Amino acid sequence: MTGEPLTADPPRSGSPGRTDHSAVLRTSLQDPERFGDIFDAYFAEIHGYAAKRLGPDAASDIAAQTFLEAFRRRDRYDASRAGVRTWLYGIATNVIGRHRRSEVRGLRARARLGPVQDEGGHADRVDARVSAQGLRGRLAGALAELSDGERDVLLLVALADLGHEEVAAALGIPYGTVGSRLSRARRKVREALGGTNPMREVEDDHG
Amino acid sequence: MDELQMIREAYGEPAPPTMREMTEARARMSGETRRGRARSGWRLKAGLGVVAVGAAAAAGIATVGSGSPAPPSSRLDLGKQAVLAAAEKAEKQPTGKYWFTDHVTGQSYMMRPKTGSYAIVGAHDEYFSWTGVKTGLGEGFFGRSLPARPLTRQDEAAWRRAGSPSKFRVWSNDHYYTYDRGKTGWEVDDPDPKGGGAFYLNGRKMTVAEIQNLPSDPDALAKLLFTRTAERGVPDRRAKRLDMSKPDVKLRVAADALENTPLPPRVRAGLMRALTEQPGIRSLGAATDPLGRRGVALAADQDPTTVDREYGAPAEEQGTYRVRSELIFNPATGELLSDQEVLTEPGGPYRDRRPGFVVNYWIVRASGWTNTLPRPAAELPF
Repeated sequence: MTGEPLTADPPRSGSPGRTDHSAVLRTSLQDPERFGDIFDAYFAEIHGYAAKRLGPDAASDIAAQTFLEAFRRRDRYDASRAGVRTWLYGIATNVIGRHRRSEVRGLRARARLGPVQDEGGHADRVDARVSAQGLRGRLAGALAELSDGERDVLLLVALADLGHEEVAAALGIPYGTVGSRLSRARRKVREALGGTNPMREVEDDHG
Repeated sequence: MDELQMIREAYGEPAPPTMREMTEARARMSGETRRGRARSGWRLKAGLGVVAVGAAAAAGIATVGSGSPAPPSSRLDLGKQAVLAAAEKAEKQPTGKYWFTDHVTGQSYMMRPKTGSYAIVGAHDEYFSWTGVKTGLGEGFFGRSLPARPLTRQDEAAWRRAGSPSKFRVWSNDHYYTYDRGKTGWEVDDPDPKGGGAFYLNGRKMTVAEIQNLPSDPDALAKLLFTRTAERGVPDRRAKRLDMSKPDVKLRVAADALENTPLPPRVRAGLMRALTEQPGIRSLGAATDPLGRRGVALAADQDPTTVDREYGAPAEEQGTYRVRSELIFNPATGELLSDQEVLTEPGGPYRDRRPGFVVNYWIVRASGWTNTLPRPAAELPF
């Protein structure tokens, strides 16, 4: 480790053998058909994200709309700001934003499915049971109560696995705002689940 | 476990997009690539149709268990012989200048008045599309809404006992929706006089020449269509979830191909032969489609479907039922007549229905090549 020269960071999203989609997107300005490669690479993923947030019926429409809008706006894509995947999540978040009421309504309905009963088990086991039962009870209730901005940030991090910088680029908000929204959102979720898991109260915020 | 991990696990992994969703979403986007204009409306609705219709894809419905597919039939199967005979007929049809296809889609919903429950067909639409054999010959897409209707003669009698209402308020996935007896005229979706010459097979864009050159060998076709392609960018972990080893998924993929691409007769025949060889796909022998046309059918069981209260379904809609996927072929021509889901184990919303009840259908009313510009039929299918 010592004495080695500093090298440039490896490409962020560059899993080996993967096409550079920024370049493909640039090519698609001249040759629109090339945008099909971007569709092939990310459609299932964006569809999955939409399905998680709004269910399978809405996911179809959201994913199709996301790619239509991405195609229309491809001349405004700035590779220096975000990777193609991040950019697509930003557009998807906008499209999902038009279904906010439905998302919150769904979360509230799931919240009514009732809390997970605490059998006094080990904290991790309680957590595991909360998540194994799916999105319901207090967790769903807490997500419903978040502000739209907090929910977008939290779910881009938790479900889309975006880093803070990527979330900032996707949503067009300052880096610092991502951090503050995320830690607020995490705190609210923690507090909501506090009753099932007192251990949570003393944990530091790593967000 | 931290909150992020809990959230990730609580949201779980949804089912991947269906072939039809991907095909239509790509076609919608490609419509744009070809002419810089949006194509939406009916074309999009057609793409979404079966997603809404496909019971397992519906919100609030979870597919449970994963019953192992039935073993391949080793005995001489007269039903399959009939399908194979139909496949032979499929080899003998010519092409033309335009390819057209006319589809009728519907989903069964339950009405439960005090005078006795009955099923209606809602989400009842018809789609007509045509595509020139070469780019530049044009393409067109039309859609219209059909009146909701009682499903069978018995349903019609129960509907009359209920006072022949003209509106049907039914539970649909995660909300109540009211279907009615109204209909619309044909509406045109952004026709493209310069388009044509391109089709989507299994999500992949193909020219007519490429489709003509597809193999007719059943094994080659099975390999081509019944394997999920990771190289198309579908992440592996999701690819695993669209389980191509399942016979009903194979029927679904084959139906997509038969409904939306002008497979040359020899390829269609090869695909039918491939289907009859798949484990878990069985013949039902003679069958009649929702338009009353006689055919021969192949079927595959689906996993049971459970409706719970997660999406707010009322008590009378909750429970578990099971359907089979069913393809009905014209024995004289080998063409697909209907692609439908049929109840095998009553339960949930269909607890008072009998096995054989048609849960939804995607009927090919007509399809083929012609040398004159195709127009949708004025008369209603039902």
